[in-house]
Amino acid sequence: MANYLAQFQTIKSSCDRVVIAVEDVSDLWLNVRQSFEQRLPVKKACLNNKARNPVFVENLPAEFIQTTDSRLRSRFPQEQYLFWFREPYATVVLVTCEDLDEFKTILKPRLKLIVQNDEREWFIVFVSKAHPGNDQATKMAKKVYARLETDFNTKRRERCCKFDLHGTDADFWDDFDSKMVDCIRNTLDRRVQFYEEENRKLSEQRFTPIWNFCNFFILKESLAFMFEVTNLHEDSLREYDELELCYSESVNLPGKHREFGGLDTGDDQAALLNPGFKALTQIIQDDVFREFEFRQYIFACQAKLLFKLSRPVEVAARGYAFVVGFSKTLALHENALPFCFREVWVITACLGLIKSTSAQYDNGIVAIDSEKEFHRLQGDLYSLCRVKFMRLAYLIGYGVEIEKSPVNSASLSMLSWPKPATWPSIPPDSSAEIMTKEKITLQAKPREKLFNIQRKPLPLEPSFLLREANRRRAFLSVGNMSELYDSVDGSGLDAHSKLPSNKSSSNLMIRTMSGPATSETSLPVDRPMRLSEIHVAAEHALKQTISDPDFMTSLSSPEEFENRYMELTKGAADNYHRSWWKRHGVVLDGEIAAIFFKHGNYDLAAKSYEKVCALYSAEGWEELLADVLPDLAECQKILNDEAGYLASCVKLLSLESSLFSSKERQAFQSEVVRLAHSEMKHPVPLDVSSLITFAGNPAPPLELCDGDPGTLSVAVWSGFPDDIALESLSLRLSASSSADEGLKAIKSSDARVLVPGRNIITFAIPPQKPGSYVLGALTGQIGKLSFRSHGFSQDGPVDTDEFMSFEKPTRPVLKVRKPRALVDITPAVSSALLMNELQWIGLIVKPIDYSLKGGILHIDAGAELKIEESQMIEIESYRSNGEQSGPTDASKALSSSSEPGRVEKVPIENGKIKLPDWASDVTTLVWFPVRAIDDTIARGTSPASPLKHSIVDGMRMIALKLEFGAFHNQVFERTIAVHFTNPFHVSTRVVDKCNDGTLLLQVILHSEVKATLHVKDVSLDLQAGFEHLGNGDGRPTSSLFPLVIAPSSRAGILFVIRLSGTKDLDELENSDSMMTIKYGISGDRTTGAHSPVPVKPDDSEELLFKISLKLKRPVLDPCLAVGFLPFSTDCLRVGQLVNMKWRVERLKDLDEASLPDDEILYQVDANPQNWMVAGRKCGHISFSKAQGSRIEIAVTCVPLVSGYVHPPQLGLPDVGEANVSCNPAGPHLVCVLPPTLSTSYCIPA
Amino acid sequence: MECMMCEILYLEKEDQAYQHQFILHAALDVVQDLAWTTNAMSLKSVDRFNELVVSVYVTAGHTRFMLLHDTRTEDGIKSFFQEVHELYIKIFLNPLYLPGSRITSSHFDTKVRALARKYL
Repeated sequence: MANYLAQFQTIKSSCDRVVIAVEDVSDLWLNVRQSFEQRLPVKKACLNNKARNPVFVENLPAEFIQTTDSRLRSRFPQEQYLFWFREPYATVVLVTCEDLDEFKTILKPRLKLIVQNDEREWFIVFVSKAHPGNDQATKMAKKVYARLETDFNTKRRERCCKFDLHGTDADFWDDFDSKMVDCIRNTLDRRVQFYEEENRKLSEQRFTPIWNFCNFFILKESLAFMFEVTNLHEDSLREYDELELCYSESVNLPGKHREFGGLDTGDDQAALLNPGFKALTQIIQDDVFREFEFRQYIFACQAKLLFKLSRPVEVAARGYAFVVGFSKTLALHENALPFCFREVWVITACLGLIKSTSAQYDNGIVAIDSEKEFHRLQGDLYSLCRVKFMRLAYLIGYGVEIEKSPVNSASLSMLSWPKPATWPSIPPDSSAEIMTKEKITLQAKPREKLFNIQRKPLPLEPSFLLREANRRRAFLSVGNMSELYDSVDGSGLDAHSKLPSNKSSSNLMIRTMSGPATSETSLPVDRPMRLSEIHVAAEHALKQTISDPDFMTSLSSPEEFENRYMELTKGAADNYHRSWWKRHGVVLDGEIAAIFFKHGNYDLAAKSYEKVCALYSAEGWEELLADVLPDLAECQKILNDEAGYLASCVKLLSLESSLFSSKERQAFQSEVVRLAHSEMKHPVPLDVSSLITFAGNPAPPLELCDGDPGTLSVAVWSGFPDDIALESLSLRLSASSSADEGLKAIKSSDARVLVPGRNIITFAIPPQKPGSYVLGALTGQIGKLSFRSHGFSQDGPVDTDEFMSFEKPTRPVLKVRKPRALVDITPAVSSALLMNELQWIGLIVKPIDYSLKGGILHIDAGAELKIEESQMIEIESYRSNGEQSGPTDASKALSSSSEPGRVEKVPIENGKIKLPDWASDVTTLVWFPVRAIDDTIARGTSPASPLKHSIVDGMRMIALKLEFGAFHNQVFERTIAVHFTNPFHVSTRVVDKCNDGTLLLQVILHSEVKATLHVKDVSLDLQAGFEHLGNGDGRPTSSLFPLVIAPSSRAGILFVIRLSGTKDLDELENSDSMMTIKYGISGDRTTGAHSPVPVKPDDSEELLFKISLKLKRPVLDPCLAVGFLPFSTDCLRVGQLVNMKWRVERLKDLDEASLPDDEILYQVDANPQNWMVAGRKCGHISFSKAQGSRIEIAVTCVPLVSGYVHPPQLGLPDVGEANVSCNPAGPHLVCVLPPTLSTSYCIPA
Repeated sequence: MECMMCEILYLEKEDQAYQHQFILHAALDVVQDLAWTTNAMSLKSVDRFNELVVSVYVTAGHTRFMLLHDTRTEDGIKSFFQEVHELYIKIFLNPLYLPGSRITSSHFDTKVRALARKYL
C-alpha cells in the first residue's frame, strides 16, 4: 500500500475542492454551465463534523465536473475507495423533456438506471426550455416536471428541482443550493464513517507485525484532507494531532533501527511551516517515515490549518513546544548529524516561526490575554534563538563579543556543548585564519570595570571548550586529555595561557612566532588542538552545516554577528515587554545596553541600564544590582552625568557591604567625595536613605517645655567605608500628629565627620510648637551633594532595605509640652503699707517644676511709686505653712531646712534683679524697698464732713517681668497691686459744748495698718476762728504719751478749744486746722506696714504724720433770721408770675460794727434756665438796727420749666453764714406745673 | 513586592550565585501570571531552566517563596514550603519584624536548613 503514497501525494495536490458530478442526460450542460458555476464556491453550507454535530462552513470550494470527464472516468474501483475523498460528493442530473410520453418511455428508465447506484448522492434538475410566452410549452413542461416529481421524490427527500432556462427565479437557486449541500453532507458523512471504520480496523492491528504506519497515514491523512477540503479545519487538525500522537508512539517503539533523516542538503533549515518541503515518498523508508522530516511535515500541516483557523498564537505556542521537544530529539541523534546541526535547526525554526506567526498575527482583534501570550511566545522564541546563536558564535570564537552577564551565563553555561561523533578537525590551509582568530583572542581584553571591580567573569560555557573539543576527537583518549587539563580552572578564553608549558612568556612566543602556521596544520594528529584552532575548525564545519547563505553571513564576522545578536535580543526584549514580562524584558534591555556601551553609544546604554537597575533595586535583588550598577555608573561617568553618576556611586555604597570588597567600597567613597567637591554647576539632591540611617536614642524622648530650646542627640549610622567629612548635617523633625515635614531643619553643630558605623550627633533644637515629634529626615551636604535620608534604623545599620524608608518610626524623640505656668509671682503681703515711707514689698517667686536659673526680674514701678535703687534687694528662701507641714515633700523640706532663712542681698539696676543660682529651684521671697508718693495732705473727717475714702487712692501698681529659661526665652509677666495707706485715719467730733463757749473736741485716731503704732506726740494747729484754751501750745489736755494703738483699733484725744472772733469769716471758710502726729511703728514686713527702711543710718525711728482737719464753727448766736413766706398761689405754673417773699428779722444787736450802716445787702440766686427774675436781683435794703425789726424782700419770678426745681435763694453776702439762721428754712424744691393749654389751638369738635 | 528566597546552599555553586538569582528573578514573571489563576498556594514548578526547576509557593499576602532546585519530589517540596510558611508566619507575628524587610533571625535560618535537610 505504500506504493500508493506517490499517487496519494499527486492526488492530494491536484484535488483541493469538492467535486460535484454533472450527469448531463439531455445535453444541457453547456447551456446552464455558466449560471451553475456562478454559484460556486458554495456560500454557506451546514455540514456535520466528525462528532456528527452540525457545523456551518462558508465558501466551500467546489467544482462541477461532467461524468463524461476523463478525470472521473478512468478510475479503478479499488482506487476509488482508497482515495474516496476525491470522488464526487454529489451528482446533478440535468434533464429536460417536453413530452409526457417521451418521459415515460425514454427518460424515466434512463434516469432510474442512473440513480440506482446507491452510493451516489444525486438530485435532478429539470431544465425547462419553454419560453415564458409560450403557454403550451410551459404547461407541458409543468406536467412533465410534476410527473418527474412524483416518480423521483420520496416522502423523506425531495430530489427534484426545476430550472427555467428563460427567466430563472431566485427560489430555484436556494433550492438548488440546499439540495447540493444535502448531497455533500450525506456523502461526507458516509465517507467519514467509512474512513473511521478503516482507521479503527487498522488501529486494532497496530501491535501486529503486519501493521504498516504508511497505510495508516494514508487513511488518516485522507480523512484529514477531506475535512480540510470541506473547510472542517478543526476536524482536520484533530486528525493530524492523532496522527502525530500515533507516530510518536510508533517511532519510539523499540525494535528495528530507523534512519532519523536530516542529512540532506538544506535540512538544517527547519521546514516547520512548509509541508511541501519534501515529497513524502522521499522520506519513507521501509514503510516508515523518517522522523526528522515527518515530524516537521506533520507540524507544518497543523500550522497550515491553524493559520486557516486564524490562530497564530496557537501556532507559536505549539511551535515553541515543538522546537524545544524536537531539539531534544535532535540531541539524541546528534552524533549522526552534521556539526551543530541542532543549533542551526533551532535557530532557523525559531526565526521561521517568528516570521510567519507575526505575519499572520492581527493584533487588532484579540483579547489582551492572548496578546500577552502571543508576545510572550515570540519573546521565548527570540530568546531561544538568541541563545543558540550565541552558542554558535562562541564556538567560532566570538565569545569575547558576548557580555558575560548573568543572563548569558545562565543560558550558556547550562547548555551542553554540541556532541558530534568527532569534533571537526582543522581544515588544511587554515593557518592564516587561525592566526587571525588568535589575534582576536589576544587583543580582546576583558573590559576593565570602573572602580577596579574585580570579578571572576561568569562562565559562558558548560565545560571548557578546549577540553570538550579535544576529548571528542577520535584519536585522543579521554584520560589523556583530562590529565592534560586538570590544572586548568580559568574560562575557556584564557585557558590556553595555562597550557602545559607554564611559562607564559615563552608560551606567548610560541603562539606568535612559531604559531600554528607551520607545525600544527601538518601534524594535527598528535597534538591537542588549541582554542583558536578549535574555533577555525568549528567555523569550517559550520559552513558545511549551514545551507542558508544569509545565516552564514551573520556568523562571518564579529560585526555581522553583533548585528544579528542585537536584532534577536531586541526582538526578545520588545516582545517580553509587550507581554508584560517586564523582568525578562528588562534583563534583555541590559544586554542591549551592553552592546550600546561597547560601541560607545553611552546615551542609549545608560538609559537601558537605568531601567535594569531600577527593576533590580525596586525588587531588592542586590546581587544582580551589584552586577549592573557599575556599568551604569561608568556610562554616566562618560556622559558627564554628574548627578546620575553620583547617585549611582551612592547606590553602590548603600548596597550590602558583602557584595563589594572594602577596597572597592573605598573607591566608591573617594569617587563620591571627589565628585561632590568638584565643580558641579548645581547642587545635586540625593536620597541616601539606605546609606545613612539614623535613629533616636533608646532613652525616653526628650521633654521640653513650650518655648524652650533643647539638645537632641541622634544616632547616625554611616554606611561609608571610611570617615566622611560633611559640610553640614541637619535634621528635620516632623510632628507625629501631622504628616508634613514643614518644620525647619535643625543644623548640627557637631564635628562633621562621620565615622563608619554609629555616630552620635547632637542637635540644638530651637523652641518648637507643643506636640510630640518624630525624626523626619536627615539632610546634609558633602560638597555640592546635598543628601537626604529617610532611613530609620531600629537598632543598627543592618536594615537597609528599601521598604524601611517608607516606614516612619513611631517612637517620638521629642515632646514639647503644652504651654503652662512655669512660675508664679504673688505679693507676699496683702495688707496696706505706709504711704510716703520707704517700705519693703515682698514678692513670692515660686518656680513650678522649672528652673529659674539665670532669671532676671524686671520691676517697673508705676506712677507715684518709686523704687529705692540705692538699697539692696533682699532675697530669702520662702516656705509657706503648707510646705512646711507637707510630709510628701520630704526632700525639699530637707533641702530648704538645710539653709534656713537664707538671705542674700543683691543690687538692683535699672529695675532689674538677677536671681541668684540657689534660688532657681526653690520658692523665694524677694523684698525690695519702695516709696509710694502721695503729695496730698490727708484730711480728717468729722460728722459734718463724712469720710470720702476710696481704696483706689492707696493703690500702686508694680509691673513685673521675669525672664528665665536657658536663653531667657521664657517670660512671665504680671502686674500686681500694692496697697498703701496713711498710718491713721483721723475723725473729730465735738464732745461737749460748754456754757462758756468752750468746746471739747475729740480727735479719734484709727489705726489703718496691721502694726502697732506708738503715738509720741500730737499737736493741733487750729485754724482761724478757733483757739486753744489755756496755754495754747496745741497739745491735748491729757498727756498720755506715748500712746500705743494696736492694729485696727482706735484712740481718742481730747482738745479744749473755743471760738475766736467772727471777723474773718471768709478766711475761716478756707483754712484748715492742721494736726501733727509724731509716732513710731513696730510692724513686721511679712504682715504689712512696718517701720520704714532706713535710708541713712542715723535716721530716727520717729515718724511724722500730718493731717488737716476742717473744723466748722457752730452757729451759736445768730443775729439775723431769714424766713421764706409761702406762695400766694396754690400752684406754680410755667409762665405765670409768682411773688417770692422772704422775711428778714434782726434777732439781736450786733455789738461789733460788722454792718457799717443800717443797710443790708441781699442777693437772689436763681438758675436762669429755670427762672426768670423780674426786678432787682440784688440790692441794698434799709434795715434798722433795733432788735426785732423786720423787713420783707419780694422778688417776682416766672418759672420757665415745669417739674421740681430749686426755687431762687436769698443770700445775704455781708453777713457770715454762721450768723444767719434760716427759720423756717426755705423749701428745697418747688413743684412747677406745665402751662395751661391754649384754646386758640383747639379745634371745635 | 515581597519575595523571599530560600537559598539552600548545597544547591549553589559559588560562581553560579548570579545565575541562580537571575533565574529566580526571571521566574517572577511567570509567577505573576500564575498566581492569580489558582487558589492553591503551592504553584509547583513554574519555570524550568535547563535542568533547574523553580518551585514557587505564594502565601495569601503574596509573599513568594521560591526554590531553585534540580529534580526532586514534588511532595517533599510542598511539605518544605508549608513548613517554611509556618516559620515565616511566626516571624511575621514578631512585632519587631517589619514586613518586607530581610529576615535576620538565625533561628529561622537554622530551621529552614533543617527543613531542607529533611525534605529536599
